[in-house]
Amino acid sequence: MQSIGFAYAIEPALRKLYPDPAEYESRIRLHLEYFNTQPFFASYILGAVIRMEEDRAMGRNAGDDVPGLKAALMAPLGALGDSFFWGALKPLAAVVAVALLMTGSWWGPLAFLVFYNTWHVGLRVGMLFWGYQSGGDAVALMTRHSLMKTAKRFKLITLTVLGGIIGMVPGWSPEFQPMVSGSFLLMALFWLAVTTALVAIFRRGGSPIQLMLGLAAFCLALAYAGVIE
Amino acid sequence: MPIFDTHMIFAIMGIAFVGGIIGLDRTAAGQFMLSEPIVAAPLTGWLLGDPIAGIIVGAVLELIWVLDMPIGAFVPADATISAVSATAIAALGSAGNAPLPAIGFSVLLTAAMVPVTMRADGIVRHWNSRLADAVMTGPGPGAGRRLARAHLSGLPVFFMKSFVLYLVFLPLGLAAVSAFNHLPENVHRAMSLFVKFLPLVGVALVARKLSMKTVDLFFLSGFMIAAMTGQLFHAPALIIILLSVTGGWLGARYRERRS
Repeated sequence: MQSIGFAYAIEPALRKLYPDPAEYESRIRLHLEYFNTQPFFASYILGAVIRMEEDRAMGRNAGDDVPGLKAALMAPLGALGDSFFWGALKPLAAVVAVALLMTGSWWGPLAFLVFYNTWHVGLRVGMLFWGYQSGGDAVALMTRHSLMKTAKRFKLITLTVLGGIIGMVPGWSPEFQPMVSGSFLLMALFWLAVTTALVAIFRRGGSPIQLMLGLAAFCLALAYAGVIE
Repeated sequence: MPIFDTHMIFAIMGIAFVGGIIGLDRTAAGQFMLSEPIVAAPLTGWLLGDPIAGIIVGAVLELIWVLDMPIGAFVPADATISAVSATAIAALGSAGNAPLPAIGFSVLLTAAMVPVTMRADGIVRHWNSRLADAVMTGPGPGAGRRLARAHLSGLPVFFMKSFVLYLVFLPLGLAAVSAFNHLPENVHRAMSLFVKFLPLVGVALVARKLSMKTVDLFFLSGFMIAAMTGQLFHAPALIIILLSVTGGWLGARYRERRS
């Protein structure tokens, strides 16, 4: 899946390390074998593999198993990266940005990009060097940076901000303001009850598309029943 | 008035081009999250002179699709095409100042687009996976050059996928919005309500995926922080959001210490 990208990224190092064209070609072919991991954590594997290729080219560790190292690292780092980037960092950045946007801060998307990419670019570049320095010691990486713990914290903060979004209903921008009016606290409590009911309904399953279609049908039913004017 | 005049055709081509470029950020280049609905939709709205439509579409679609994750071989929905298309259809279909029902209808149209975008993504990825074989089995020396060519050829393919889909979705969507404008008032009311409910649906979807509980303690704490500070101190939204983040972080630390 990502083998072409990996081979393309390591190609400049291989060209430098292997002046013999036949060996250079064979190393490129080796790196075109199956590879799939979380794309940002791939730079850790890239760093570790460059280190191994360097050792091999210098004759220090001719028997090193490069495909074995890649195969051993891609699954655990893929799981860690998916959980951290897609499951924790992106939702947190997105939910904070949505909260800002819904309360009238037009710069919410900008804050999203800055917050997300500070982590993204920082870790992507850092991973390359950590991979190179450690030679692919993924356990040391996980111990040193406790990314699982950070991911868990991010998820809990995201949940808190989600609750905050509902608690701020009366402060939403006019384009998001619900159609009902009332006192600040009553409005917030009403939307909390609606959201909790929705969570309970969604627990029964259904894709976002089905949920959107279901909601549209519900709204149509309310309109034709004369409940909304 | 004809729906597709010269101005409209240029606008569709322009959005298809910009959308194609933004779409590259999804997987083909960078992944700096410019392709997320929260960025792509407001940008499209701003380009078409209707920032409000972009803000509404961006906020709701971001919440709805943010946890649709590209794990393993799973191809998630192309939220970028949904966000850009919904904003463009709403803005172009209403001459730059889309009313709520038109925005709601445009968002609803994306439900029909998503399966098509997923299928198209699957086809492009399948084509992509064959590139490695082409480099491996290519004749003679020059694997480095073949590799660079194969790798970079992915960019125009991903661009064309989005570009073509926009050229299909936008005219169809605009025709649908034009037909929608003639529907009874009840349908318009329903779409207004649909838009107002969408942020709650998004919040509930994210909360469901992040927590095993229907009533989560952290979610409730965030609600309490926001409601109390808003009610008692009339705190500005930015302060409330910062307090929610701090509250969540402190709660997480407390839970860690207890476990």
